[in-house]
Amino acid sequence: MSTSDIIPGTPVNEPLPQSELVKSILALDLRAAPYEGNADCPAVQVPVDGLLKLLTKLRRDPEFNFDMLSSHTAVDRLEQNVFELVYYLYSLTKQKRLLVSVLIPRDNPVAPTCSGIWKIAEWQEREVYDLFGVCYDGHPDLRRVFLEDDWQGFPLRKDYHDDFMLTREPIES
Amino acid sequence: MGLTKEKIAPAAEKIPGVSYLMTRMDQVINLARSNSLWPLTFGTSCCAIEMMMATGASRHDIARFGAEVARPSPRQADLLIIAGTIVKRMAPRLRTLYEQMAEPRYVIATGACTISGGPFIYQSYTTIRGADEIIPVDVYVPGCPPRPEGLFYGLLTLQQMIRKGETIRQPGVRRKPVLCALPPEITLADIQKEMEELLKKDSEVDVEQTRKELAWPTGLNK
Repeated sequence: MSTSDIIPGTPVNEPLPQSELVKSILALDLRAAPYEGNADCPAVQVPVDGLLKLLTKLRRDPEFNFDMLSSHTAVDRLEQNVFELVYYLYSLTKQKRLLVSVLIPRDNPVAPTCSGIWKIAEWQEREVYDLFGVCYDGHPDLRRVFLEDDWQGFPLRKDYHDDFMLTREPIES
Repeated sequence: MGLTKEKIAPAAEKIPGVSYLMTRMDQVINLARSNSLWPLTFGTSCCAIEMMMATGASRHDIARFGAEVARPSPRQADLLIIAGTIVKRMAPRLRTLYEQMAEPRYVIATGACTISGGPFIYQSYTTIRGADEIIPVDVYVPGCPPRPEGLFYGLLTLQQMIRKGETIRQPGVRRKPVLCALPPEITLADIQKEMEELLKKDSEVDVEQTRKELAWPTGLNK
C-alpha cells in the first residue's frame, strides 16, 4: 500500500517539494553547494569561512526564517582526516528542515561559534567540544559539560583510547 | 493467629501450661525486616522501567511481597535495587546514596549492566563493569532486563537471606552473594504460552460475547 492509496491525490515517487529550498539557497550565491552524502532532509554544504554568513542569512531572512537550531553535532571521518560539523535547522513558521554540513581539518579543528545566532548553540557546541574536541572561535564559555573537568582527551574521536577501556580480542576460529 | 503458627512457629516454643509463646527477638525482627523492604527510588536506565512498569505495576505487583513502598529519600529506604547502567560520573553518587541509607541495608543488582557492564563492557570509556566495584551486592538477578518472575525470585532469595543471616548480636554477617536466575519451575515454554495468550486476548474480540456482557439487564439496548 502506497501513500496515494491512503490519501487520494498524493503524488508518489516525485522529488520532495522542499528541494526547492536547496535551489533557493544555492541561488543566494553564499558559496553553498549541494550536499554530497546521504541525508534524510534538504541538505547543503559550505566551506568553513562562509559558514557564519550563510547561517546568519538563513536565520534573519524572512524568506527562510530558520528560527530553531534543533541539533548540532559532529562526525569523525578518520580516513578523510576531517571532522564534519552538522547543523540541523528547523523553521517553526515555514515548517521546514535543513541540514548544513561543514568540513574542518582534523588536526586543526577550529570553527566559528554560532551562539550569536541561536543562543542554544552555546550548550550544543560545549557538548561537541567535550566529546570531539572541536574548538569554537568566539564561544563565551567553552568548558566541558558531560565529562569531569580534568578529563584528558576527547572520547568520541575514533582514535581515542585510555587505560580504562577494554578492547575485545578477535575470536580465532 | 495464622502468622504465629505459620511464620514464627519454627522459632517459637510454647511454655507448657500457659498460653504464651517464647521466641528469639532476632528472628521476629528479621521476619519483620524481610517482609517490609522499602526500596529506594533509584533507576538509571531500561531495567528501571521494567522494574516500575512490569514488576511494580498491577499484573505482577511487587506489593505482594511487601516491597512496594519506594522511598525517594535514602534515609528511609533499606533496599537498593540497582536498575541500569552505572557510569563513571554516577558511581560516586551511587556510593553516597548507599552510605546515606540506614543500616541494615540490602542491595539487589538487576540486569546485565549492573552485573558486569553488559553490552558496554568493551570499548566503553565510561561504563563501570559491575556495580559491585562500588558497593557490596547481596543478590544478582541476570537478564536484560530480567523478567518480573526473575526479580521476584531475587527478592524472595533476599528475604530468605535476611531471615537466616544477619542478627542483632552479629551485625554485618551476610551469606555469600547469590546469582538468581529464573525459578526452575518456570520454563521458556511457559513464558511463550503466556505471551501467546496475552496476544490472543488482545487481538481477538468476540463482539457478540462482549455485547451480551455489556447488555443492560432490562433489555433496553437489544
